[in-house]
Amino acid sequence: MAANEEAVMWVEKYRPKTLDEVVGLKDITESLKAFMKNPKTMPHLMLAGVPGTGKTTIALAIAHELYGQNWRSFTLELNASDERGIDTVRDRIKDFSRYSRSGFGDIPYALIILDECDQMTGPAQTALRRIMETSSRTSRFILICNQSSKIIEPIQSRCAIFRFSRLDKQAMKEHLQCIAIKEKVNLQPEAAERIVEFSEGDLRHAINALQTASAYKEGCVDEKTVSLVIGEASPMQVQKMIRKALYGDFTEARKVMYEIMGNFGFSGNEIIRQIQREIYKMSDLTPEQKADLSSIIGEYDYRLTQGANSDIQLSALLAQFGKFGKNVEETYAAK
Amino acid sequence: MQRNDLLWVEKYRPKKIEDIVGNDEAKASFVEWLKNKRHTKKAVLLYGPPGVGKTALVNAAAREFGFTIIEMNASDARSEKAVNAIAKPATSYKALDNFTGETKTSGNILFLDEVDGISGNEDRGGVSAIIEIIQKSLVPIIMAANDPDIDKLRPLKKECVLIRFHQVRIPLIIALLQKICLLERVNAEFEALERIAQNSRGDVRSAVNDLQSLSEATHNLTLQETALLSSRNKDISMDETLHKYFAAKYIVEVQSLLSYSSVDYDDFLLSVSDNLPRRYTNPSELAAAYDYVSKADLYRGRIGTENWHLLKYFFNELAQAAAVNPESFKPFEFISPPIRIITLFWTKGKRNMLNNICGKIGTQCHVSHATAKHDFVPYIKLMLQQKKNSPLIEWFKFNDEEVDHLLKMGRY
Repeated sequence: MAANEEAVMWVEKYRPKTLDEVVGLKDITESLKAFMKNPKTMPHLMLAGVPGTGKTTIALAIAHELYGQNWRSFTLELNASDERGIDTVRDRIKDFSRYSRSGFGDIPYALIILDECDQMTGPAQTALRRIMETSSRTSRFILICNQSSKIIEPIQSRCAIFRFSRLDKQAMKEHLQCIAIKEKVNLQPEAAERIVEFSEGDLRHAINALQTASAYKEGCVDEKTVSLVIGEASPMQVQKMIRKALYGDFTEARKVMYEIMGNFGFSGNEIIRQIQREIYKMSDLTPEQKADLSSIIGEYDYRLTQGANSDIQLSALLAQFGKFGKNVEETYAAK
Repeated sequence: MQRNDLLWVEKYRPKKIEDIVGNDEAKASFVEWLKNKRHTKKAVLLYGPPGVGKTALVNAAAREFGFTIIEMNASDARSEKAVNAIAKPATSYKALDNFTGETKTSGNILFLDEVDGISGNEDRGGVSAIIEIIQKSLVPIIMAANDPDIDKLRPLKKECVLIRFHQVRIPLIIALLQKICLLERVNAEFEALERIAQNSRGDVRSAVNDLQSLSEATHNLTLQETALLSSRNKDISMDETLHKYFAAKYIVEVQSLLSYSSVDYDDFLLSVSDNLPRRYTNPSELAAAYDYVSKADLYRGRIGTENWHLLKYFFNELAQAAAVNPESFKPFEFISPPIRIITLFWTKGKRNMLNNICGKIGTQCHVSHATAKHDFVPYIKLMLQQKKNSPLIEWFKFNDEEVDHLLKMGRY
């Protein structure tokens, strides 16, 4: 693992630069290396899998392999969830493939890495497919997504698809230890265990937690510090909103909702996803209660995808929580 | 068959000139122009309050005299380009239909409805383009407007014959309503029809609409029921609309209320949502009411800009939300400017700041704003809190304000 000395964030500092440096994804790196022997034959690629499993790393490593040190001049990195609309994407791709047509050396195309493609709407994907076609002589696409099922068939059929699964816990622990040794930090086994447990196979999250914990105590990361960091970095407001709603204080719950939307700019979808995640973390709910709440959340999540207003749908969801909380209370009282 | 399948204003739209009630003088001048003067003075401007029969007269006259109407209204973009594209071929090629000999027509007439709707940047050049068309036109042009005095139409007035329409007199409206009642088998008290007619202030269209919405619930219409009518020609404010909405008991009340109020449906939905917890304090009732509002919101989304036939379901859901438990209704004070707008206004700076921060993280670490927000910001904040002049600041190129924001930021 060659360290990128300039980078301050460890996720960047220890991001593998070449396919050879990538550990643990042997199947994927081997087939990609075959393409690298004759880059002209490389098709469009689609990298699909849960967050923090190495998709971006692989994409950047390919860029390195193809263009060497100057990879940035030949690579366009776009994020579908950040760019405003497919028109922006189209314009940037057009400009890029126009201006970087000369001087690739042996490589007859520029590389376009498009992250979070599954956030794109159907029509946007159709437009993307068209862009892929019109610019295929000058560009290769690497499409990155969490769920390949959310990508329309015509795009899938134009790509070689690679699937990334959740990282193995043991491999993650070893990787964290590796970083800790290089950073001269004593990472205690229980602390590593706790980080891996918390990050659920997301290596990026795990490394960020490790780096943060190491900032607390010079040269040592113990379980206590890790727990402290995890606690401090976990969402709090969403949990507060859910509890207020369940205890029947609708007005207060909605106030918190507006604060979350206002201060952090979360969309309705993001908040619903957070609510779902938090519900499962709440230890005072029974599994049955969690399931019931989940099906309520599902209904409003669905309505939200139908183009409804997020304020109204989230408020309606909180009101349902209030009713749910009251019913639970009444059942206990009856017993 | 459902009685409300067809809007009565459509069903009873005048087919002949004589069917149009009132404004006899205006009708006569228009017919005179159409018969004899249209070659000497090419354009005519019909103006007067809404719902008195301007458009109806044009359509009825065209039918009677066999003209083909080429229509544009305010919703068409009336830029010079659009006007030229649509209107010019129609005016410079006389009645192509005649060529085939199949249809018998006295020629084309260009009809520009709601010319006072020309406005804003979109329609720039609209008025001068219309004048140009009038000057070049080979066929007659009819224009209609509600308010001919606005400045931008002044140049048009010189080019046209002006025909003024007045409010239709009450007895004429009553007579029309009686005729419709007979055909629709509605037993209506004379006083009720009188009330509807008076309330319409000479607007025939609105009177017919009122009659239809009131008789939807019953075949016997009494004066008492006309109390549901909201006064016309008066903007009903958001407060007043909300007030009446929460006090409403029937769907027809909500429907009539919202069609007469000038409030925007989206704003109204948000305001209802804001005020719902004040109306229902019982969690079960609140949940039920919110579910209706949520469905109303769904229909609002599906209506979009074209599926207006879904509007009745939207009204229906809204009406249900108001009537979850009529017994518990007590007048209450409304929260008026929507909470959402206030919150979003005050927090705009914070959101922009966070967005910039996430952008900088995204550039360095190859992640989206959303991922930066979830997986990086909480940790970077803690690291900055541990070490004030951390090398992170320089690497990410955070400015002082951004560092300050991160340090003080709460947890979501």
